[in-house]
Amino acid sequence: MISHSTLKKLTSPLIVFSIFVFLYLPIIVLIVYSFNSRSFPAPWKTFTFEWYIALFAHGTLWISFFNSFIVAFASTFLCFFMSMCMLFFLFIGGKIEKQLSLFYLNLVIPEAVLAVGLLAYFSLLHIPLGIVTVIFSHVVIGLGFIVPALYARFVQIDPRLTEASYVLGASSLQTFNKVIFPLLKPVLLSTSLMIFMISFDDFILSYFCAGTSFQTLSLFLANSLRNGISPVVNALATILIIATGCVTSFIFISSRKHKTRVFAHD
Amino acid sequence: MTRSIRLVGVSKTKNGNKILDNVTLTIPSGEFFALLGPSGCGKTTLLRLIAGLESVDAGKIYLGEVDITHMPVHKRKINIVFQNYALFPHLDVYDNIAYSLSITGMHEDEIDRRVFKLLKAFHLDKLVDKKPSELSGGQQQRVAIARAIINEPEVLLLDEPLAALDYKLREKMLIELIELQDKLLTTFVYVTHDQFEALTVADHMCIMDPEGGIAQFGTPKQIYEFPDSTFVAKFVGNTNLFHGRLGKKGDATLFHASDLGTFTVECTPQKLELIESDNAIMSIRPEKIFISKKSVENFSNTLKGIVNSIVYTGRSTLYEVLLKNGKKIQVFEQNEEHFPQVNIDYDDEVFLSWQKENVVMLKE
Amino acid sequence: MMEQEVVLSPGSSAPALPRFSGVQRFLKLEFLSALGLLPFIWQSLFFFIPMLLLFSMSFIDNSSGTLRFTISHFTQLFSTTYLSIILNSVGLSLLTTLITLCIAFPFSFISIFHFSKYKNIISLFLLIPFWTNFILHIYAWFFVLEKNGFLNQVLMHFGFITEPLAFLNNFFSIMVMMIYYYLPFMILPIYSTLERFDSSIFEASMDLGANRFQTLLKVVIPLCIGGIRTGIFLVFIPSFAEFLIPELMGGDKYFFMGNVISLYMFEEKTLGTAVAFTTLSLAVVLMIVYFIQKGLVLFTRRLTRGVRT
Repeated sequence: MISHSTLKKLTSPLIVFSIFVFLYLPIIVLIVYSFNSRSFPAPWKTFTFEWYIALFAHGTLWISFFNSFIVAFASTFLCFFMSMCMLFFLFIGGKIEKQLSLFYLNLVIPEAVLAVGLLAYFSLLHIPLGIVTVIFSHVVIGLGFIVPALYARFVQIDPRLTEASYVLGASSLQTFNKVIFPLLKPVLLSTSLMIFMISFDDFILSYFCAGTSFQTLSLFLANSLRNGISPVVNALATILIIATGCVTSFIFISSRKHKTRVFAHD
Repeated sequence: MTRSIRLVGVSKTKNGNKILDNVTLTIPSGEFFALLGPSGCGKTTLLRLIAGLESVDAGKIYLGEVDITHMPVHKRKINIVFQNYALFPHLDVYDNIAYSLSITGMHEDEIDRRVFKLLKAFHLDKLVDKKPSELSGGQQQRVAIARAIINEPEVLLLDEPLAALDYKLREKMLIELIELQDKLLTTFVYVTHDQFEALTVADHMCIMDPEGGIAQFGTPKQIYEFPDSTFVAKFVGNTNLFHGRLGKKGDATLFHASDLGTFTVECTPQKLELIESDNAIMSIRPEKIFISKKSVENFSNTLKGIVNSIVYTGRSTLYEVLLKNGKKIQVFEQNEEHFPQVNIDYDDEVFLSWQKENVVMLKE
Repeated sequence: MMEQEVVLSPGSSAPALPRFSGVQRFLKLEFLSALGLLPFIWQSLFFFIPMLLLFSMSFIDNSSGTLRFTISHFTQLFSTTYLSIILNSVGLSLLTTLITLCIAFPFSFISIFHFSKYKNIISLFLLIPFWTNFILHIYAWFFVLEKNGFLNQVLMHFGFITEPLAFLNNFFSIMVMMIYYYLPFMILPIYSTLERFDSSIFEASMDLGANRFQTLLKVVIPLCIGGIRTGIFLVFIPSFAEFLIPELMGGDKYFFMGNVISLYMFEEKTLGTAVAFTTLSLAVVLMIVYFIQKGLVLFTRRLTRGVRT
């Protein structure tokens, strides 16, 4: 029989362990079965790469993959560009701080509501639904992330650094490029990456704003899901999960270098 | 009510390092006790073991006659003031101080009475509603101490409480702590790496060595004037050490320092074993040496040297004197007069004199 | 010990006068103002105006070719079917929020204080499911729970059952999927808030006489209430409009707010209803959010209530 104290000692690791099992079991199963030679639902036969090969031949899938990629890239770029313009404007003295809190609204509204609103808006203006409308909708979400994040980091920058730069003879633009921008880079990088991934994975906004001819990867997956499971999708899933794992680890490790401790009384 | 703390054979290992090695120590009841040691010697760990925040690997801890080795931390009537104060950031000054009482279910009026009594005593009454982040370092420290004494613990542990304060504030707080302990008569255990603090506050103190053991236990005076080892002699205060041979000639005890000559010394009974050994060390503190330009009589020992450096520190002057064999001696003189009659300058030839009673013999 | 305090006011990075050369100055100022306001322009174009439009469209009837003000869209909604759908959605999201909170909090607490050595690795392994594609999550559980899926195969293989069980297409699978997807959203804010605190505050609490439970109530929870609030909003608001999960997991048996909107939105006739329904749902969400917010404030106040009240 397990003693009472051993039981107590075991509950903590047990809880943590079971949560992780819950989170990861389906993923592991998915990956394992992507190598199964017989199309599911059959049990394990032999190890194979055939589904991966089939994956590479699948035309629609690749199109939707590239679509997602282009959309994500474009959304991230637009967010990046616009927020940097705004930041420079702030830097040289534009007084818009109060209005910045408006951007928090973007994330409070459920995505579906925003999607419906945009759909109605696009239809009213007779804007054809497609890649452009999807990008535009993603940018709204992206701005909600990048503007507050950049601003928070921006106000932390010591004004004496700017003063030092001016004293040494630099113009505003030079100071912005050589002093402010490098200091913003970490936040910029991590937020941009975050927006990229959110856009890439996005479903709801894309669902409403893509129209009939344009398909992102999420939409493609949702469709194939309606048709039941397929080992080719397993293969794709495996690749995506591993890619996500690598990117996440990379961000995580590089961000840990900047972590600082908060003491009890701070 | 206060009691003594007794550690018997306490050992603690962390990450493969033996932090505390078979420590046996009795902290007398009702005293201000200082635990002095260099960084990393295990003094904070010892404190945490007494508080109950960590458990011993071996040995026992007694509070008075009661074995508290396995008593959980919240049951021990021992409170600790953390080095970073650990004030609750979400509570204001009043609630931080009242915390230990608010858990017991004491009546609000009674809590109020006690809290305000302490607030006044610690000059915190104007800061009642403030949060820790709004307080200065000194104010936070007072809140931390008030919080730790309000429920009248039997022992108060302090982990380098003055480390974060500036010099002047530190001096002031030291005196306030002494007065507090005098009033409360609770056993205080004060951990520090600053020997000045330890010597100032302690009724008794002990020095911990880097190997996790106790180097010496005694009153500040005993430790300062009669160190047991070169480690203690060097850690507490400054000293000049001479290596050589100790011998007896009739009634007198003589110390032969290599190429410096023979000195007349006195040896305490414990150090008698050093006689006839080649590994004796003579220790003489800088303030016990008299420096002069002319030779003086009435001193047991004299050496000649050249003044190498002079450091003026306000109330004293520290001289470094170069001996003929290249050894440097430190001499400490109080600046008793505005206009001293004799001025000692760089490169002056001087006489260093000291009495045999002021010497301490140590072994290697 | 304390970080260097730099007191800044917003925009203080800018000196009193921008430094441009003469010609640059003339060209730059107008141009830069325009560029600098880009995000706001975008925000108005693609957020505020559409939202306003949404709101106003719910009151407009376009069926007879001309625009008329009407509240018929809304009155349509006050029937049992629609109301029950909204109630279902509220129930689902509240349940999801509650369950994820009950799992996330002990998980974070135990990870940080019992396994502080592995804090970082646990953080990393929480982030990976967080960033994995939404659809893939559903697919993963779909794979496990499907009639011919993993779980059934295993059970049949070991002889526990003879025929595959229907794990999908019921409320259970919807709940599992919701929790699976939203759990990281609840854990991460709580985890990162808790992580920042030095364990010495909790040690201080216990040293002063509070046992584990009292320390939990009086110190731990008040300190991470910020993270709890973020977690609640990161789960409740999106889960309310969730429609893909119920659709795929629950088959056609369950209808939630999101399902209705996605169906009606693409039909000309039901456009008005869809829009009105969206507006109504938004109102419901915001109202509940308001109450949750108020509730949290009261709860916090009660927990940190000092001796004097």
